[in-house]
Amino acid sequence: MRALHTAATGMMAQELNVQVISNNLANMRTTGYKRQRAEFQDLLYEHVRRVGSQTSDQGTQLPAGIELGSGVKTVGTPRLMTQGSLVQTGKDLDVAVRGEGFFKITLPDGRTAYTRDGSFELDAQGRLVTAQGNVVQTGATIPANATGLTINAQGEVSVTLAGSTASTPVGQIELAMFVNKSGLQAIGDNLFLETPASGTAQSGTPAAAGFGDLQQRTLEQANVEAVSEITDLIAAQRAYEMNSKVIGAADQMLQTSANLMR
Amino acid sequence: MENMVLVGLSRQVALRRELEIVANNIANLNTTGFKADGALFEQYLMPVARDNEFSGADARLNFVQDRASWLDLSQGAIQQTGNPLDVAVDGDGFLVVQTPRGERYTRNGALQINGTGELVTSEGYQVLGDSGPIIFQASDRDITINADGSIRVREGSSATSDASRGRLRVVNFEKSEQLQKDGASTFMVGADVQPQRAANVKVVQGAVEKSNVQGVLEMTRLIEVTRSYTEIAALLQQQSDLGSEAIDRLAEVPA
Repeated sequence: MRALHTAATGMMAQELNVQVISNNLANMRTTGYKRQRAEFQDLLYEHVRRVGSQTSDQGTQLPAGIELGSGVKTVGTPRLMTQGSLVQTGKDLDVAVRGEGFFKITLPDGRTAYTRDGSFELDAQGRLVTAQGNVVQTGATIPANATGLTINAQGEVSVTLAGSTASTPVGQIELAMFVNKSGLQAIGDNLFLETPASGTAQSGTPAAAGFGDLQQRTLEQANVEAVSEITDLIAAQRAYEMNSKVIGAADQMLQTSANLMR
Repeated sequence: MENMVLVGLSRQVALRRELEIVANNIANLNTTGFKADGALFEQYLMPVARDNEFSGADARLNFVQDRASWLDLSQGAIQQTGNPLDVAVDGDGFLVVQTPRGERYTRNGALQINGTGELVTSEGYQVLGDSGPIIFQASDRDITINADGSIRVREGSSATSDASRGRLRVVNFEKSEQLQKDGASTFMVGADVQPQRAANVKVVQGAVEKSNVQGVLEMTRLIEVTRSYTEIAALLQQQSDLGSEAIDRLAEVPA
C-alpha cells in the first residue's frame, strides 16, 4: 500500500524540520548566527489517467485526470541571511557589521573562512583573533602599550600609542561579499566557507560600494525569532502526528484485508 | 452471488486510491505552495447480457470507479518570513520557472540567488521575468519586489540609486483545471494551453504561501476511508459466511 510510504516521507520530512528548528532555537543567543529553514517540495506524481487525453473518436477530452502523489522531499535548508539586531556591549573588540559583508578569518590550514560574529580578542602577538583563536585578516598588530583602540565605520583600526595624544592607524578590517550568501557552507564555530554556489568572495572596505559599515562595541545577535520558530515547531509536530495517523489507517486497512481470509 | 464481492472490491480499490491521495496531502502539510488533491468517484454501470430468450431483464450492477483527482487551487495561508527573496502570489497566478524539461509553473516563492546572480527556486531552476531570467549584480542591495512583480535594487555604493532588475512573470490559465502536477512544487500544462499574464494578482514580498491542505479535513477523510473500508470488509465477510453456511446446510443429507 503506497499510502504507508507516502506518510513515511511526510514523517521523515517533519523530523528533519524539527531538527532544523531545534538547531535554530539552540542558537538563539549565538552571536552572528543565521537561522535556517527546511524547504519541502512534493515528490513525483503517477498520472493514472492523464488529463486532456482523448476519450472518444469525437475528440472529447478528459477534463480531469487521476494524479497520485508519492509524498514529500526536502530540497534544502537554506540560511536566511537577514540582519540580526545589534546589541551594545561596551567591549572595545566587539564589532558588528550593519549591512552586507562578512569578516575574513584565516583558518589554521591557511584557508579563508567568513563570519558575521565580531566578538574578537587579542592574542599574545597583538593580533585580532576570534574566540577560537583564528586570526582576523586585518594586518593589524596592536602594540602592547597602546590604549584607546578604535575601529571606525570604515573598518580602520587605530590606537593611541604611549606618549602620544593622536591616534595612529595600525590596520584595516576588510569585508567580503557574495552573490549568493545562502550558498555558503557552514563549518561550525560561526564560520562559513566559500562554495561554487556562493560565488567567489568580493573583498572591499566597510561602508563602500554596497558593503555595510562597522559598529564598534556592538555585537550582532542571531536572527532567530522565537515566536515564529515555536509556531513552526507546533506545525511540524502536528504534521508529524497526522502522518503517523495515516500510517495507522493504512495499517488498519491492510489488517482488515488480511482478516478477510480465515 | 459473486457480484457482491466484486462490487465491494471496486469500492475497496477506490478507497485505497483515496487513502493515497489523503496520505500525499498530509505528507505535504508543510510544503510551501502545495495545492491539495481531491478524489472524485462515479458509478460504473455494468453492461448486462440481453437476450430475447431471457424471461426477465437482468438487474444492472453498480460499481464504483475513481474518475479523477481534482486540484484544490484555493489560496493557502500567507506566512510572513521577513526574507527579502520570499514571494507569495496573492490571487490566481503562478510564477514561471525554467526547468530542463521546459517551462513549469509554481506557487512556491521561496526563492534564492545562485552563484551567478540569477534568481532561482530551491531546486536551482531559473525564475523567469517578462524578458528572460532575472539576474542580480554582485553589488546589488536592498532588493524590493513590488506588488506588480517588478524588482528594484540599490546599485553599488549609492544610497539613492534605484535600478530595475526586471519584472516577475506571473501567469494564469483560462482552464486552470488542465494544470498537472509535475513534482518539485511545479505544475505543467499541455502544449495546447497557453499561459496568459495574470491580472488582479498581487506579489507579496517577505512572505511565503503555505500549503492549502486543511489538516482537520484530511483527518476526517482519513477516518471516513478507514471506516468505509472496514465496513465493506465486514460486508464481504458476511457474504462469505453466507456462502459457506449455505454449502454446509445444503450438504446436510438427512440420514
